[in-house]
Amino acid sequence: MSSNSAPTVYLQLRSRVPITQGRVVTLGHVARILSDPEWEGPLRNLELVEPQKWDGNLLLIDLMQIIPKVQELIPGVKIEPIGQNHVLVEVVQNPRKPSLVLFLLVWLLLFFGSALTIMNFHADVNMQEVQIRTVEMLTGKRDEHPYLFQAAYSFGIGFGMVVFFNHLFKKKWNEEPTPLEVEMFLYQENIDQFVVAQEYKKMKSSQNKGESH
Amino acid sequence: MNTTAFGLLVQILLGIAGGIAVGGGVIALFIVLDMIPRLAQLTRSYHRVHWYEGAMVAGSLLGTVFDFWNWKMSLGAWSGLIVGLFHGIFIGLLAAALTEVLNVLPILAKRLKMIRFLFGLLMAMVTGKVAGSLFDWFVYRK
Repeated sequence: MSSNSAPTVYLQLRSRVPITQGRVVTLGHVARILSDPEWEGPLRNLELVEPQKWDGNLLLIDLMQIIPKVQELIPGVKIEPIGQNHVLVEVVQNPRKPSLVLFLLVWLLLFFGSALTIMNFHADVNMQEVQIRTVEMLTGKRDEHPYLFQAAYSFGIGFGMVVFFNHLFKKKWNEEPTPLEVEMFLYQENIDQFVVAQEYKKMKSSQNKGESH
Repeated sequence: MNTTAFGLLVQILLGIAGGIAVGGGVIALFIVLDMIPRLAQLTRSYHRVHWYEGAMVAGSLLGTVFDFWNWKMSLGAWSGLIVGLFHGIFIGLLAAALTEVLNVLPILAKRLKMIRFLFGLLMAMVTGKVAGSLFDWFVYRK
């Protein structure tokens, strides 16, 4: 009977949500909600904040901001947060198409960069002498230009890189993520963590300012 | 016989010390770059990683011995093709692992908002390496 007077709301915040500019962030955007069916609709449409220009394109919403609003909507509500206690809202403008010219420039940068790097590496470790020596060990004859060895070596480099990044054989061999995918994920994760810490700092400093005035 | 027993002892000591340092360094490099775990993951052979370790140790030892004592085999020209291919694949793995450690692609792709083109960028590096190597051997040092 007491459950009628004090409904419980379970909230699970997402970690990162995109929202188009000009829209108001509602609770349904940033969290998964579990509650009495009669409250679910109003909770989902509960307005939290409207991202302003000066907020930048990343906005941190803390559980401490959400709880008062929910309590305002449902007096005497019991809130059970599950999981994270903050969510990052990413304000996206109309998604710009990445330009093809820029892509081509980066492609050429990486292409020639890689080509020169491998040549530098060869010079650095005196690769030619080692190759001549290797072929001498194998065949017993010294050949100043072991072209067969070098051609196989060159294509082997490409094959080795592809194997490492697991791109061509992904479907065939296994479905584990490639190191690059893991790296991209970790990179994003690190950025998010940094932004959260930074936003908390901002929040704290602005509170202190308010108190002193 | 102008080497005293003491001189011999110092030589042995220095040789072992240098060998341990270099051998440790070589293996540490490959361990840091995660090449063995990567290959084991791809071939689903985690239970055989000790064999892979053994392969690296044996390879290092054999290479050293062949080099120092000037051993020679008399295999046909095809042996260069096979060893060259393995050599290249290994260097490719090394280069890819190094690129990955340095986080070049994630940062570049994110800064320029090109996550969608990641595969293309990857192929740029791969084909760049192959082209650079071919150019080096067949044109530059002809």
